[in-house]
Amino acid sequence: MDFRKTTAFFVTVITCLFFFGMTGAKAAEPYNLGVALGLTGAGALYSADGVEGIKLAVEEINAKGGFLGQHKVELFIRDSQTKPDVGVREVKDLILRDKIRAVINDYSSAVAMAVKPIAQEYKVLHIASISNSENITMINPSPYTFQVVPNSYMQAKAAAVAVAKMANQKGWKEYITIASDYEWGRSTQASAVKFLKESAPNLTLKKEFWPRLGETQFTSYITGIMAMKPDFVLGSVASNDNVAWMEQAKTYGFFDKIPYPGSLITVTELQLQAKTLPRNMIALTRAPFFAHMDNPMMADFVKNYRAKYNKYPSDWAVLSYDAVYALKQGVEKAKSIDTEKVKDAMKGLTVDLTRGKLTFRTIDNQLSCSSYTGTIADDPRYPFPIYKDIIEIKGSESERPESEILEARKATK
Amino acid sequence: MDITSLFTQFLSGLTYGTILFLVAAGLSLIFGVMNILNFAHAALWLMGAYFSYTFWNLMQEYSFAFWLSIPLAGFAAAAVGWFLEVVLIKRIYKRELHEQLLITYSIALILSDTIKLTWGVTNKLIVRPEMIRKPVFIFGSPLDSYFIFVILSGAAVAIGLWWFLKYTRYGHIVKAAVYSREMVAALGIPIPRIYTWVFTLGIFLAGFAGGIQAPIGSITLGMDNAIIIQAFCVVVIGGFGSLLGTLVGSLIVGEVFSFTILYWPEGAMVLIFVITAAILIVRPWGLFGTPMRT
Repeated sequence: MDFRKTTAFFVTVITCLFFFGMTGAKAAEPYNLGVALGLTGAGALYSADGVEGIKLAVEEINAKGGFLGQHKVELFIRDSQTKPDVGVREVKDLILRDKIRAVINDYSSAVAMAVKPIAQEYKVLHIASISNSENITMINPSPYTFQVVPNSYMQAKAAAVAVAKMANQKGWKEYITIASDYEWGRSTQASAVKFLKESAPNLTLKKEFWPRLGETQFTSYITGIMAMKPDFVLGSVASNDNVAWMEQAKTYGFFDKIPYPGSLITVTELQLQAKTLPRNMIALTRAPFFAHMDNPMMADFVKNYRAKYNKYPSDWAVLSYDAVYALKQGVEKAKSIDTEKVKDAMKGLTVDLTRGKLTFRTIDNQLSCSSYTGTIADDPRYPFPIYKDIIEIKGSESERPESEILEARKATK
Repeated sequence: MDITSLFTQFLSGLTYGTILFLVAAGLSLIFGVMNILNFAHAALWLMGAYFSYTFWNLMQEYSFAFWLSIPLAGFAAAAVGWFLEVVLIKRIYKRELHEQLLITYSIALILSDTIKLTWGVTNKLIVRPEMIRKPVFIFGSPLDSYFIFVILSGAAVAIGLWWFLKYTRYGHIVKAAVYSREMVAALGIPIPRIYTWVFTLGIFLAGFAGGIQAPIGSITLGMDNAIIIQAFCVVVIGGFGSLLGTLVGSLIVGEVFSFTILYWPEGAMVLIFVITAAILIVRPWGLFGTPMRT
């Protein structure tokens, strides 16, 4: 055998293999997806469910080859501890060390707002799936930040529509608010008060209570509110605090004496407080799975989620699952995992999610999604109460007008 | 505002104060006797709440589970406290205060992570027996029926500690050690062993208080962060090491908070910090503390 020919043959083969290998490796480049949620601290309860939803979505997508059928999604999960400084530190680390292309963050709006400029600086997509302060997308907007949860304005308007109807029917005159003393609580309360002023101008706000985030003792608030005898109370108490607030208020017979409409009672509370939650209470939530069981994507999600985690998905699991699928559809529209292209593709994009076909608004990247009110009632199909007589308030009915957003942006410049 | 509403608010302040007293009593006892400012106290309080949940969960089918889980939480936390004292705290008696604070703060962080690893991040909820799910009415004022038990427990702890310090031999030794540990040691009393048991007793109180807190709302990670600040306010106001001071400090904080909420809700917590700061400036040893210690 000619030694030179043989050598040339092997060199050619090895070179080809090397370059094919390179191309192959490039084609299979993974998509690094960061998750920075408040796995400890006040947001632990909701964030843990969010992570479960994300993991399930990623498993399903990877089973089909990943994004665009070839980019496996690799998850990098960090604990923001529901603290802005920790959230920023962890997201920076995810960007610099783990080279993430997108991050789902956070439970706390304060953390999400602190992370927003970091994501913009490093050109990383930032998707808010649990935190819902309107200011995340309204003020100082970032083209990289998207929100898949109804924001505080949308939720407050949805609640106000329901409450105004009741106030007119029952002749209510005075009310009190109690809201967690941080970004989300403050902005939700402010919006609710504004909407009520518009929809029921005869109502008077008698007092505002601001328990701090992480409050465990609500007794003084409860008895104080009861002593003031308002016609009704509007509440925006967050996560873990909401459980403590509800449990303690109930033992004082608070809900039997004072109407408490429009408070956030999500599927988490419905499950956790199944035995003790007051029935016939009118409440509000963000993404209850049972409102969309007629959508095959939701039905499949619930089935798979139950199979994997042996429980029903909370709003936070639904929203975070949707966040991953919204990103997937952005990548598909862009036909690339390049962040700049995906970011542009997601602007104004209509996506198929568990909650139906929904569109990202061009002006603020807020998903035009629904809020849900209903009456808490038992249902034989579930081991916990759900909402009956559900009213779905569409995004188009509850969004802030674009002109107001532009004005707000002008005012903050 | 009518008298019934004011009385209701007084009862709320009383319950809030009692809960703070249960947390702060152990903190004050440990500082008073051992001169250790235990920043990990609230983490052990939280651990007590989780222990209580575990015991309740294990014995759920029995009617006594709810009540028994509370003292058991105290004993379980005490075991952890004993271990910490023997392994770590013993070594920092003679360190500077800031070093003690840093070390106990580190212990608090370690305990928080241990809690997270052991019990997970999901909230725990203890379902109360039917008999304490409704309010009771005292002179027309509603009170969460469980709080009767809380107030009685607070009173029992206060009386028990007072009796222990005043009438038992060990109580006398502990009191003597507060003022002159060298003299007590010179009498042949093993100070290290006394310290170990005082620390264990303090942590028992923390665990017991955690057990009492558990059924009030849900048990969540991070609950300890807020309570430790308030517990420090209580002992600063009342005076470190003074049982009576801790009791009075707790009631002051509870009532000030409760009544300020009616008229100036935003300022309720601020006012407590203002009082604490004022006490620190005017009377740094607190209302019932003693300025001289050796």
